[in-house]
Amino acid sequence: MVQMAIPRGKWIGVRVKRVEDPRFLTGDARYLADLRLPRMVHAAFVRSPYGHARVRGIDVSAARQAPGVVAVLTHADVAALPPLLDPIPLEGLKKTPQRVLAGDKVRFAGEPVAVVIAEDRYLAEDAAELVQVDYEPLPAVTDAEAAMADGAPLLFEDLGSNVVYDQTYRFGDPDAAFRQADRVFKKRLHTNRFMASPMETRGCMGSYDPGLGELTFWSSTQMPHMLRFSLALFLGIPEQKVRVISPAVGGGFGQKMTLYPEEIAVAFLARHLRRPVKWVEDRRENLLAATHGKEQIIELEAAVSNDGTLLGLRSVCIGDGGGYSFNTASALVEPQAAALLMPGLYRVAHYETRVVAVVTNKAPVGAYRAVGWTAGHTARELLFDEIARELGLDPAAFREKNMLRADELPYTTCTGMVYDSGSYVESLQAALKAVDYDALRARQAELRQQGRYLGIGVSPYVEPTAWGSEIALQVGFPFPSHDNARVSVEPSGKVTVAVSTHSHGQGHETTLAQIAADTLGVDLADVTVLFGDTATAPWGMGTYASRTAVIGGGTVALAAQEVRQKILTIAGRLLEADPADLVLADGTVSVQGAPDRSKTIAEIAIASYFDNSVRAAGEDPTLTATRFYDPKATYSNGCIVVVAEVDAETGQVRLARVVSVEDCGTVLNPMIVDGQIHGAIAQGIGGALYEHLVYDDSGQLLTGTFMDYLLPTTTEVPPIQVEHLETPSPVTVGGIKGMGEGGLLASPAAVAGAVLDALAPFNPQVEALPLSPERVLRAIGKIAD
Amino acid sequence: MKPPSFDYFDPTTLDEAVALLAQHGSDAKVLAGGQSLVPMLNLRLARPAVLVDLNWVAGLDYVRAENGHVAVGALARQRAVERAAEVRQRQPLLGEAIRLIGHPAVRNRGTVVGSLAHADPAAELPAVAVALGAELVVAGPSGRRVVAADDFFVSYLTVDLAPDELLVEARFPALPARTGWAIAEVARRFGDFAVAGVVATLTLDAQGSATDARIGLFGVADRPLRATAAERALLGQPPDDARIAAATEAVRAALVDAPTDVHASGAYRRHVAGVLVGRALSEARQRAQAAG
Ligand SMILES: Cc1cc2nc3c(=O)[nH]c(=O)nc-3n(C[C@H](O)[C@H](O)[C@H](O)COP(=O)(O)OP(=O)(O)OC[C@H]3O[C@@H](n4cnc5c(N)ncnc54)[C@H](O)[C@@H]3O)c2cc1C
Repeated sequence: MVQMAIPRGKWIGVRVKRVEDPRFLTGDARYLADLRLPRMVHAAFVRSPYGHARVRGIDVSAARQAPGVVAVLTHADVAALPPLLDPIPLEGLKKTPQRVLAGDKVRFAGEPVAVVIAEDRYLAEDAAELVQVDYEPLPAVTDAEAAMADGAPLLFEDLGSNVVYDQTYRFGDPDAAFRQADRVFKKRLHTNRFMASPMETRGCMGSYDPGLGELTFWSSTQMPHMLRFSLALFLGIPEQKVRVISPAVGGGFGQKMTLYPEEIAVAFLARHLRRPVKWVEDRRENLLAATHGKEQIIELEAAVSNDGTLLGLRSVCIGDGGGYSFNTASALVEPQAAALLMPGLYRVAHYETRVVAVVTNKAPVGAYRAVGWTAGHTARELLFDEIARELGLDPAAFREKNMLRADELPYTTCTGMVYDSGSYVESLQAALKAVDYDALRARQAELRQQGRYLGIGVSPYVEPTAWGSEIALQVGFPFPSHDNARVSVEPSGKVTVAVSTHSHGQGHETTLAQIAADTLGVDLADVTVLFGDTATAPWGMGTYASRTAVIGGGTVALAAQEVRQKILTIAGRLLEADPADLVLADGTVSVQGAPDRSKTIAEIAIASYFDNSVRAAGEDPTLTATRFYDPKATYSNGCIVVVAEVDAETGQVRLARVVSVEDCGTVLNPMIVDGQIHGAIAQGIGGALYEHLVYDDSGQLLTGTFMDYLLPTTTEVPPIQVEHLETPSPVTVGGIKGMGEGGLLASPAAVAGAVLDALAPFNPQVEALPLSPERVLRAIGKIAD
Repeated sequence: MKPPSFDYFDPTTLDEAVALLAQHGSDAKVLAGGQSLVPMLNLRLARPAVLVDLNWVAGLDYVRAENGHVAVGALARQRAVERAAEVRQRQPLLGEAIRLIGHPAVRNRGTVVGSLAHADPAAELPAVAVALGAELVVAGPSGRRVVAADDFFVSYLTVDLAPDELLVEARFPALPARTGWAIAEVARRFGDFAVAGVVATLTLDAQGSATDARIGLFGVADRPLRATAAERALLGQPPDDARIAAATEAVRAALVDAPTDVHASGAYRRHVAGVLVGRALSEARQRAQAAG
């Protein structure tokens, strides 16, 4: 039962070229860094060089006198601003207030301590060097387990501990499952800290109009309305007098969900100085101080019977949250998400998990594409590979045996997630077929004889999507989530769609227009999608967590449906026909069976707005509707298979093939789905093999530039083959499921799994990622200390 | 990531450039392709008060075959050298080494001579220069001098150049007859500086015995190294697998202090340098035999 079908016309499901791309490709798009205002000044932040230190004093006198300097502010100047806090209402979660500019203590290298405003960024950076901060370095703690130990240096003395959350959840009867097990397998995995690295870094600009008392704030953000709400609260400006505009945004991946101290400082300064203030983050700052992601220490145990039936799981998920339990979603965002999705798409009735969130002297962790799920999924899939090897089972067969079949869906997992529909076994089989799995296994055996090591990694996944209130609860973050769209057919018959969801690379100007065009029977070129400006977009949460196709798409479909009814009503009157007998297509409404009795949408619109005779008294003349949507939970799924060859002498890995089978329900635009998968898998390859934010024991980031923080490039990412399955959701508008994160959720496990499968003859032991050449050689004992 | 302020000069002759360096001494830095210097300026790791831009000096962008070597002028871009017929014919190892530097966009600007002057110990070209016995031509206020590559590289980013001197030319000896060559490296990604790398040449006599063996190592010390013990282990005999294994062991024995950084430990570098020496020598042997 599809909750509401979307009329299918020419657009949905078609590989429509992205309507936004010409302006991005020609350089006409205007990013934050492109914006200029008269009298604008520039901010540079003074950042802590220490991972952990007391701030004994700050001398800004030399900086204030430097050429071109307009102002230098420290905590003393902004002490009246409230601290940043995470908003998650979970019992037992301790709060770690963060000052906009550090007060008496810094807790990670890169934390803002002061801000310099100058006529240009060069002068601001020159003056920032002159700010003298008297630090008393403190012992740092950069490992989550060390931070939990007695006597560890404390980041927040008043909390008495670095542990901000520690809860155990039990589902079913895990003890009984482990008692019944023939075998118990264990795995420890320390997943690497890596980060979103959007092509456009963070940045913002504030302009305050003292006459109107209004703040206009441009920010490279994913959530304009939430930012507006926060700025109003922090600065004490009435919310209706704050306008947030997010111009073209060059990627977010979760990093731009967060409210950042830099944003509050810039907004504050714009009002304080009565001059527009702009801050464009540079790459070094982004690596140092934008949210990091993905780091957890996971201990996982599986209870298994001799025939390979999975009986139960136990896990401990320790999230390394960095210096502050961060404000969008707290240090819990990693371990809580990992823990609750740990059963994945497997039949697991009995499960116990301990979720721990810890603060350490590193940059705060926030959401990054498939937050939490990547680490948990990777630990589980690598454990499953080890189980299959130990039991002498084929790893794909072991998975298939324990996987939920289509006839078992809908299925409520032991942790309370309701899988609405899916194609788990079918996706696995399709992916294996695409790589010709049996032939590959034969080839693997043949190459081993020649001393060459080829491996296959198989990573089937389920992906929570459609982040509304229900799924937020199911995945462990009980925070209401919903959105709005306003669809208007203008008097000329052209269509304006204004949405509260955001687009920062995903192509929503195209996909949402496809939905509106099909519902209203118009040409795609006649639809414009507006977003990213709180003055024009209806209120809503923004874009994150693979939610926009479902929620944004749903709101557009619902609002467009309402407008469609209005059009048919007016057309019925103009054509003297029953609206039920009308056909709407190609910009024209005609009478079923009598195509010459027709009116164009433009004629209908003109009549609706300007001809009172077609309306009853009091009837709304505008062809516009605003609708909200807070969908039921829906889950996408798929399977990624990676083929890798490993050089067992140098530890280098070459990826030979990547295949992704994706089922995101109704496919709005296969090309855009392909693109989301390509990008997410590239990030997953980075996470599995290259990207690692490394800190030394004192809390110094050792990988602070793109020379050392290694993003995969075109030479590291092989062609990615994508296949689509389509199992529409029975519970969402149009059967749409979200997608976008699955590639990063599942590909690190596939890549690491392929490497370890290649090295199976050496019985590789891996407890941490990424699989650098050195870690590969150590895993197989080729080098030792 | 904005550089501190500096004065900028754009001399059009070498004499003018040298005079500017003499005037500003250690406050000045030469700007060639900027592929190393500009990032260092932006990160404020280099803070010269004065930049002397060589890019407007005429006549420095040559690649010439002369007197048994290939001469590369200070402004010859890596990409041009990589593609030059003189290099392909006389010193293919140089062209192959350049191909491992960054990406085409980097090589379109970066210069061969700038890479030598910069002396990153993980860079390919200093090791090529050391292994081949290249000569470097230095210009200063009192004229020109020629330095052997082996003497030029002092330590990490440090070379035998006075503040008022600049490098005008590098001379790479042409490959002798019956010589095979190879370059092998492990880099984290294609185009990165090497974690460890090896260049090798092997010259055989008519009987197939090695009359000359040259092995240069990069990424494994604070400067490019010649693996002299390994070279000696190869001389006077046909370079069979046992000899190559002996050379591998000699290289590992010499690298007890290989450096550790975020990308690899000293132990990894030492192990992999041995692997790469073995591979490079096998490939060089094959080429030498084919050439003979
Ligand atoms: C993304 C990227 C990847 C790279 N990858 C590699 C790699 O894999 N391997 C590698 O070897 N290199 C790599 N490089 C560095 C590149 O090779 C540089 O071009 C080279 O190191 C310096 O040459 P340049 O002409 O750009 O010199 P510049 O950057 O202009 O100068 C570098 C230094 O040399 C000095 N200098 C330059 N020319 C002279 C001269 N004639 N006389 C005296 N001093 C001089 C300058 O004062 C400066 O100190 C990479 C660079 C980038 C940006």
